[in-house]
Amino acid sequence: MNVWLIAAAALMFGLIPCGIVVFTRDAMNRLVGLEMAGMIETLILIFLAQGFQNPNFYDLALAMALLSFGGGLVFTRFLERWL
Amino acid sequence: MSGAAHLAVEVLLGIAVVVALICCLGLAIMPDFYERLHYMASVSTISSVFVLAAVVVQEGWGQATLKTIVIVLVLFFMNATLTHATARADRVRKLGHWTADPKENIPVVKSGSGGKR
Repeated sequence: MNVWLIAAAALMFGLIPCGIVVFTRDAMNRLVGLEMAGMIETLILIFLAQGFQNPNFYDLALAMALLSFGGGLVFTRFLERWL
Repeated sequence: MSGAAHLAVEVLLGIAVVVALICCLGLAIMPDFYERLHYMASVSTISSVFVLAAVVVQEGWGQATLKTIVIVLVLFFMNATLTHATARADRVRKLGHWTADPKENIPVVKSGSGGKR
């Protein structure tokens, strides 16, 4: 277990406050929690890719970053117009 | 990798993780929506840049570093866009429009006023 995997494990605790916000607040605050969780998960995937010494895993982190960006924009527009 | 480089990676990762955890805690603690939005910025700028620095120190200039640079750039611009879009959506939900209304009396900082509002 190297320092990257330890960092990934430590950063997973950051998802707990995001989950609290997502599960307890109103719709717009939930969206902020979701966006923050997307960024934290991207960093975790970078840590795991480096920790397992497999550069192909970086594609997962890149996909996560791009998809959380698109998903966040879709939710934003949806909450702005229809909810 | 030398001992100094290993130590540097540990310090850089430690800073990145601590900053990200503090921001996550702030996200849950802050009472206001707009205050909460600010905590996303530190993760996408400070933490991601420290992670990039750690990858550069460990790997040098290779495939992993290039991919990390792309990811950090995506996070950087994604956060700015998402923060603006989210704040705008909240304003539209509350007021029906997002542009400033003269009736709102929003304090404006005039240039040359020395920061007085």
